[in-house]
Amino acid sequence: MEPRGEIFVLGLVLSIIVLLISVFISIWARRFTRNLGDYYVAGRSIGALNNGLAMVSLALSLTTFIGLTALILKGVYIAIALYASFTAAFIGLMLLAAPYLRRHKSFTTMAFISERYGSKTLRFISVFIMLIVSVLYLGGNLKGVGIVFFFLLGVPEIVGIVVGGLVVTLYVTLGGMYGVTYNQTFQTIVLIFCLMFPVAVVLKALGAAGWFFPPLGYGNLVPLMNEAVPHFFWPMLVHPIVYIAIFLGSFFGIIGLPHFVMRYFTVRDAREARWSTVICVFLVGLVNTTVYATGFAAMYYMRTQGIDIPEAAYDYMVFILLDALSGQGWLAIAVAGSVAAALSTIAGLLLIMGAGLIHDLYSELKPEVDDEKKLKLSYAAMFVVGVLVILFSLNPPKFILEAIMWSFGIAAAGLGVPIVLGIWWKRTNKYGVGAGMVVGALIGLYGWIMVGYLGMDPVTIPFPIFAKYFYGPLGWIKITAVAVPVSFILTVVVSWLTPPPPLELQKQVDVMHGWQDYDQKRYNGKGLPITVIVLSVLIMWFMTTLYDVFPK
Amino acid sequence: MSDESRKSYKLEVWVTAICFIIVAITGGFFSSFVVILNERFFDKVPTPEQLVQHYGESMFVAKEGLTVLGFPLHYFLLIMLSWIGVTIVGAIWCIVMDRLEEKQRA
Repeated sequence: MEPRGEIFVLGLVLSIIVLLISVFISIWARRFTRNLGDYYVAGRSIGALNNGLAMVSLALSLTTFIGLTALILKGVYIAIALYASFTAAFIGLMLLAAPYLRRHKSFTTMAFISERYGSKTLRFISVFIMLIVSVLYLGGNLKGVGIVFFFLLGVPEIVGIVVGGLVVTLYVTLGGMYGVTYNQTFQTIVLIFCLMFPVAVVLKALGAAGWFFPPLGYGNLVPLMNEAVPHFFWPMLVHPIVYIAIFLGSFFGIIGLPHFVMRYFTVRDAREARWSTVICVFLVGLVNTTVYATGFAAMYYMRTQGIDIPEAAYDYMVFILLDALSGQGWLAIAVAGSVAAALSTIAGLLLIMGAGLIHDLYSELKPEVDDEKKLKLSYAAMFVVGVLVILFSLNPPKFILEAIMWSFGIAAAGLGVPIVLGIWWKRTNKYGVGAGMVVGALIGLYGWIMVGYLGMDPVTIPFPIFAKYFYGPLGWIKITAVAVPVSFILTVVVSWLTPPPPLELQKQVDVMHGWQDYDQKRYNGKGLPITVIVLSVLIMWFMTTLYDVFPK
Repeated sequence: MSDESRKSYKLEVWVTAICFIIVAITGGFFSSFVVILNERFFDKVPTPEQLVQHYGESMFVAKEGLTVLGFPLHYFLLIMLSWIGVTIVGAIWCIVMDRLEEKQRA
């Protein structure tokens, strides 16, 4: 789309207010930061409500706010299924990892992997994987910042990416984890308000009977939608493996994405970690179902009014819709909400990248450096990382949500699998994890380079056995259904074929589960690894079935 | 491992496994069942005539069926199970784990 060429004054004013409050909170929270523990994990003092709210804003980035609507316009039901899976994945994260990670007392995901498996090499590998997934995640969000700036100032996306990115980088560098946490709590409240109310106004304008509760308020419009877009509510005729790939990517990806996991290192204890997730998933579900309503409204508006929006502009659809149906005031509120959404997620990502580079990389290479210097270096690292990601994002992805989906897939195979097996199976060792995480992450990364970056058709990429099965709409998602199972299989098989980990490493598993004593038989059976291998093989085999049934 | 300890261990593992399976199905790959079981439950047979023949829209054509609040049943179930459903499952698991933790401390 071409820039508006004019400044959206009301939106700009509200966005600046959100930004100023965020900077104020960062400066205020700075007083709590006295050491590295305060800076990275807020002194492990955050309660369930505060952490739950902070997690909501971390989850609801610009990709949700504007990217999901675009994806619904493009993929309809499959996009909704994807986000339904992402919502439920928070409970998966809680069941499989959250409270156990909190008891482990690490600072970061990378530190957990290194300490659980007793390997510095794994720490370096996981830092590398963390940087890849974070850059992909940030790239998508920075494009979103560009879109918001486009609407606010009428400037090209690229200017928004540079200016907006610098502003966010500065504010994260100021406050550390205390600032990020309190800001994310504030931004969640802003975000929910700025999404729910404008969407309600849009639904009312379209004639939805239940407009006052957007998640379920548009049922009376369904018959008209069925006439205009007969396939809106029906699953695409795609191989069901697509939904299984989405499940694997979202459930294990969220465990592997370090900025989500890091939130659990900040809470007071395992109980707070658990309940914060329940609070989070309820609110994330509320917002996501509201965004499904936005997607419905956007499609309904386009098809019933005969308005043609080019596919390349789908990322702008939320603002186009609000501009047309709700008026400038509500549009301004939604833009301010977008700014809040961008700030919170980018802040969390920058913090984990700074922590990874200084705490997990530099500190390992130079252990003699004192905490005060590490703290100063963390500020510098975060700023440098922010600038580097802005430069990387100068070539933004076509659709912001696609970059995020790749990020989830790589994180699932590279970091999610070692975390889950490290918590639930004592026999997992550094050799198995090394093999699984490297090969799994490389498969995901290779897929992204070929399809996401070079733009190749998934069925034409050199990929033994499976390439021909990556057909159909969003067929590239199926690469996750190879990467994650391969990571699981390699981790289990190689762990089994190599010596078991030392006793002190195995003891960590009992401690993570809250046991005061140690018992070799706990979390050490054959049931879990066998089930994991069987399911992994079945998933990959299933992809190769029903080839003639579904359209290519 | 004492009997009490073994009971607690089994409770933790089984409750977690069951909750995970429920959440994985209802929130995770519920939609794949809708595709696989479409013909049986929604009276939809995929034929070329029913497909819209351009990219991204090779899908079933909607028919009248069961609805809840105006939404097709499977869609309503998807959005509610992946939101309220998993929240309830998560809360139940939290309560069980809180009690287990108290036992472990004792």
